[in-house]
Amino acid sequence: MPKRGGRLRNWKPNEHFEHDDRSHSNNTRRVSFKPGTNHRKNKFRSWNDASQILLEGDIDMGASGGQGPNKRGFRSRGGRLGSPAPRPAARKKFIPGVLPWYQIVIPYGAKHEKDVILRALLSFLSPDVFIPHYYKINGNAAVFFVDDVKIAEKLFYADRKIVMTDGFKLVVIVRNSVPNVTIDADMKQKMKLAMAKRYNATTKALDLTKFHADPDLSDIFCALFRPVIMLAAIDIIAENIPDLEALNLNDNKLHGIEHLKILCTKLKNLKILYLGDNKIMFLGSLDPLKLLPLVELYLKGNPLVKRFNDHDIYVSDVRKKFPKLVRLDGVDLPPAIGFDVSDEVTLPSNRQWFLVDQAGQNLVRDFVTQYFAIYDSDSRQPLLEAYEETAMFSMAATYPTGDMRNAPENKLNAYISKSRNIMRITERESRRRYLKIGKLQVVSFLSDLPKTKHDLLGFAVDLPVFTPGMIVLTMNGVFKETNVSGNPTRSFHRTFVIIPNSNGGFSITNDMMFVTNTTREQEAKAFSAGTEQPAAPVVQAPAVAPQPALQPLYDDNQRMMLNMLGQQTGMNEHWSVNCLQETGWDYQRALFIFNQLQSEGKIPPEAFVK
Amino acid sequence: MASEVVLKNVDNACETAEEFTRLFYKQLDNSRHLTSKLYLDTGLLVWNGNGINGNEKIQKFLMDLPASNHVLKTLDAQHIKNNLVSNKLTYLIQACGDVTYNNDQVKTPFQQTFLVVAIEGKWKIASDCFRLQVPYNN
Repeated sequence: MPKRGGRLRNWKPNEHFEHDDRSHSNNTRRVSFKPGTNHRKNKFRSWNDASQILLEGDIDMGASGGQGPNKRGFRSRGGRLGSPAPRPAARKKFIPGVLPWYQIVIPYGAKHEKDVILRALLSFLSPDVFIPHYYKINGNAAVFFVDDVKIAEKLFYADRKIVMTDGFKLVVIVRNSVPNVTIDADMKQKMKLAMAKRYNATTKALDLTKFHADPDLSDIFCALFRPVIMLAAIDIIAENIPDLEALNLNDNKLHGIEHLKILCTKLKNLKILYLGDNKIMFLGSLDPLKLLPLVELYLKGNPLVKRFNDHDIYVSDVRKKFPKLVRLDGVDLPPAIGFDVSDEVTLPSNRQWFLVDQAGQNLVRDFVTQYFAIYDSDSRQPLLEAYEETAMFSMAATYPTGDMRNAPENKLNAYISKSRNIMRITERESRRRYLKIGKLQVVSFLSDLPKTKHDLLGFAVDLPVFTPGMIVLTMNGVFKETNVSGNPTRSFHRTFVIIPNSNGGFSITNDMMFVTNTTREQEAKAFSAGTEQPAAPVVQAPAVAPQPALQPLYDDNQRMMLNMLGQQTGMNEHWSVNCLQETGWDYQRALFIFNQLQSEGKIPPEAFVK
Repeated sequence: MASEVVLKNVDNACETAEEFTRLFYKQLDNSRHLTSKLYLDTGLLVWNGNGINGNEKIQKFLMDLPASNHVLKTLDAQHIKNNLVSNKLTYLIQACGDVTYNNDQVKTPFQQTFLVVAIEGKWKIASDCFRLQVPYNN
């Protein structure tokens, strides 16, 4: 029972307390005037001015007097006004706050070394120990945070119980408050390092138990119950260990976990999740996690568990949300009885290549190698030779569904603005306009697309039609943009319809492309095959050495010479051809003439424009 | 530059693609036992690199796939001048979107390209290349 004249205090950050204003006031402090007070001229309350908090005895006086005659008129008011005699702190009552974080303010704490203050508090609380988070000097007060309600309460009652060496009693103010935080690159880097040390690569498990208390993060407020920090942490995980299978978030004071929904899309392999000793109130709070294929879940130590009187009902309700669960709170679950609906039909396995006719193997390999050697070069102009006079091209592009990445390099503006998606482009005129007809139009369109480098070894190639009159070639794969910062990777799907031409070679008549962003899985594997041959079932990998234009008129030997001359002189395809043709395909002679003309400055600059 | 005939073909290819994909995915997701009727008797399905030749085998292959739900996001179509089957209109149709299997919640992007020919007043699939958007290098 509080003594007469005392009152309950709710230690919320914004609550103000009365006290007199004898001492040095501060213009910036928050003040309020309480009209119910009489007998005193100025009853200001301030919470922020540490110097005034020293007069806590008076604050209590004011508090009792400030109740006003209407409510507590029978009480003596204003007694011991201005008296320096402190009231026993025990008559105040500690009231726990909503969040488990408390700010501890030691007015005039700056007078003492951090160690001195902490040692004094620790010895007072002994045998209890606590971790002071984010200790800093603010003005002349020392401020730190504790994350334990019991410690906060004990510190609350330590107010003016400790006599310091200078003879003053240590004033301890406790209030329910969460440290402020802004996440910057530096903080992310620190989090990343702290997480790296908590990661077990063999089990693909990340242990973030009591993350905010990590000694490496002692100088920053890094509590995962704050959604911004949790989301930053999830981002770091998704970037560095997207195939994470087990995540331990025990003892992080999590309450609302709606934002953890993002785990379902970012960490699709997450099977084991520990959420023990948090503040999750309801089982329904776990709904955002329902899409995770969890086999193990730990929820002990959350208020939600206590809401169930019957443990069996608790288990059954959790299982309804996570049907694949085999272990809950560290206990193996009895196998659930289901129905024989055989709904787990699996997909047939993938194959990288399909050729309707093995005879097409060389042609496909040559085509892919040559076409993309030019497509990935500085100039796509030479592709003119690959297209038939009235060839057609169109492209559709879209963002992946549910992709939250929105960094500049994830933008597909260069494609979407030209996308002929006829689900959106419904006007006849527009549909005609977005379809490019004629090889000049096609190649000029292709030339305007971002510069690329294709992962040839990662291509999936299908040859569904291979007849004397027509070849249809479809491919799926990944390329990166070489002239865009960050070199983003894109996923594409492309179909070529190819027909024999009058020169005995082949020309593209139809070219249809789809572009989107790569999935994380694609991004991780892109360009990973190196120089090894892909496990193509029927064909060898296309050679990656770039070759000049698709030019069936030249035999292998001639093509090789063209290639070599181009590389040696830096001349483009057209000029290399001219040079070789004029010298009757004598490579040495062609090179000699080139050197001669070059030294005389007779070769125009356009010969080197590729 | 393009002639009236060509432009008409451009329009028709688009309209055919819209109608065709509406029907195709509805059948594939809801009444798969009828889907193979959309293929030529000698039609070819290339499913993630697995080639399945002929209408009957395609039917069996499709029946063995898990229940699916396809949602289209982009569609494009072109006409092909050189007819695959003599004097029959041939269109190239590219459909891309997301697919879920087994009523799962996981959406996987897919890309699919059809070659359809008009035979006796019916559009039939001559070839169908389906690819999930996943890494293919091992």
